[in-house]
Amino acid sequence: MSDTLQITDLKVHFPGRGGEPIRAVDGVSLSIAPHETLGLVGESGCGKSTVSNATVGLVSPTSGSVRVLGTELAGANARTLRAVRARAQMVFQDPVMSLNPRMTVGAAIGEPLLVRNLGRGIALRTRVAELLEEVGLRPEHASRYPHQFSGGQRQRIVIARALALRPALLVCDEPVSALDVSVRAQILNLLVELQSRHGMSMLFVSHDLAVVRHVCDRVAVMYLGLLAELAPGDVLYSKPLHPYTKALLAAVPEPDPVMQRAKPRVLLTGEIPSPANPPSGCRFHTRCPIAIDICRHEVPAWRHVGNSQVACHLV
Amino acid sequence: MTAPALSVDNLSLAIGDAVVVDGIGFSVAQGEVMAIVGESGCGKSITAQAIMRLLPPAIRRTSGTIRLGDDDITAISERAMQAIRGRRMSMIFQEPQAALDPLATIGTQIAEALRQPLSRARPAVRKMLEDVGISDPDRRVDQRPFELSGGMCQRVMIACALISRPTILIADEPSTALDVTIQAQVLDLLRHLAIERRTAVVLITHDMGVVADIANRVAVMYAGRIAESGPTEAIFAAPRHPYTALLLASIPRLSDTPKSQLATIEGRVPTPAEYGSGCRFANRCPRADARCSNETPRLRSIGPDHFTACHHAEAMA
Repeated sequence: MSDTLQITDLKVHFPGRGGEPIRAVDGVSLSIAPHETLGLVGESGCGKSTVSNATVGLVSPTSGSVRVLGTELAGANARTLRAVRARAQMVFQDPVMSLNPRMTVGAAIGEPLLVRNLGRGIALRTRVAELLEEVGLRPEHASRYPHQFSGGQRQRIVIARALALRPALLVCDEPVSALDVSVRAQILNLLVELQSRHGMSMLFVSHDLAVVRHVCDRVAVMYLGLLAELAPGDVLYSKPLHPYTKALLAAVPEPDPVMQRAKPRVLLTGEIPSPANPPSGCRFHTRCPIAIDICRHEVPAWRHVGNSQVACHLV
Repeated sequence: MTAPALSVDNLSLAIGDAVVVDGIGFSVAQGEVMAIVGESGCGKSITAQAIMRLLPPAIRRTSGTIRLGDDDITAISERAMQAIRGRRMSMIFQEPQAALDPLATIGTQIAEALRQPLSRARPAVRKMLEDVGISDPDRRVDQRPFELSGGMCQRVMIACALISRPTILIADEPSTALDVTIQAQVLDLLRHLAIERRTAVVLITHDMGVVADIANRVAVMYAGRIAESGPTEAIFAAPRHPYTALLLASIPRLSDTPKSQLATIEGRVPTPAEYGSGCRFANRCPRADARCSNETPRLRSIGPDHFTACHHAEAMA
């Protein structure tokens, strides 16, 4: 079966102050198979949200290719984009901002079906009720407004709306970052369950490595517009290859004081450089604990090592 | 035994008629990091504001004492309190860029905490910037917050808070707005400062990972009350309140089996208007019985320095 999502050498540059473009995404390739969940992790400004926006056509690629179910989004016209968006739906971080406060929950969830002439009247109401139940809410919630719900419930409503068109690809950009711990677990369980029930592909963007570990089959680590490493979850978390992946994993504070205090500390020094003026050679060399001369001058190739793909001269 | 650096006793805070913090108490020793952990709305941030006497006008303290060493600061004048803030007791906040003055240079703001002009305080400011790990302090001194990253602004705020060598530092979600690699740097910095300067640190956080990383002791708050408090290791190894236990079980971990079910807590945190009689966690608690909804569990001793407010704590051992 062909891939649900195929991104090849994607570049997305934004105009920056002083003439230099912001190279938010600067040559990313990845694919997601049917039924697969790919995690995309990285720190703020690494370009992970730009990749997810490009996947549903919310930003246009500067160059490279984004194919959803074989349809090219780069340079696509409005009609093609509209067709693709029926198959690729998005869930954003902040459920409060994602819902129109003046629309009932039922109207919000039914809107994707209504605007595409896929249901009206009783059939539409039945489908909305189904969707509400599917995300753990009750059919009678359809007549209420978003402000009558808690943050976790609102994220359930957003997810129900994203599922309305039975998408082949669900793009989730930090879907649990705005939620409290106890609610976060409910939403993660829901996403895992929905994905296995519907067999969707999922692109799961997050800064939280533990959350990504929990829901993803494969994980891509992004740094300053480029992928550093991409590997199956169990490989990436047990045998990270790239020094940035290692540092990220070491920096996660784990909720276990004994383990946490025994953990070797690989403290990265310095700050994340600006994507308007990325470092030469390997972009990570300014913070890398093991960088040598070649890292400063030569961009490391993206290559296979075992089951992983990695961009590092020293792996 | 010397008095703890900070002790809070029977502190209650109210908005109108709604009691949002209900009779909490804890103490922090010199050189100790004490975490107050809980979800949004549990009252942890206003507790921090109450200790600094920086409560918004709508919130009143209805009972309780707050002692720095032997001095009860609830009894002193605002003028006397101003002499304490920034000298004996300082605070840092979640959003460093919002807490710093955008128009003043870094150096001026740090010197201000000493109540000195930068011209006189420059050597001390320079040394302080070095101590919080800011490279090239001679150049940074004359820069403004917008020229610095979020992580560096947080270091500057820590420098402002610590240059007068306070005995107590209140840190309200100090690493929450930061990326994980920068968070690790800032937590390391706080840990070292607590150890080297013997500062007592009250750390307000929602993140059990941060607690595990740097806190010596922890108080878990739920709906305006302390559910459980004690040494960090003891609480993580054997929580004695169902809320703590469920909270810990609901956190995704790096060692998890992917796609396994996480423990969840049904329902949601009650709002102050919904606080009824009995245990406030009762309607979400798998162990709750009739007693829990009628009788408020008192915080009681259950082990060395370990306290819980649960009628069923014995059954959890």
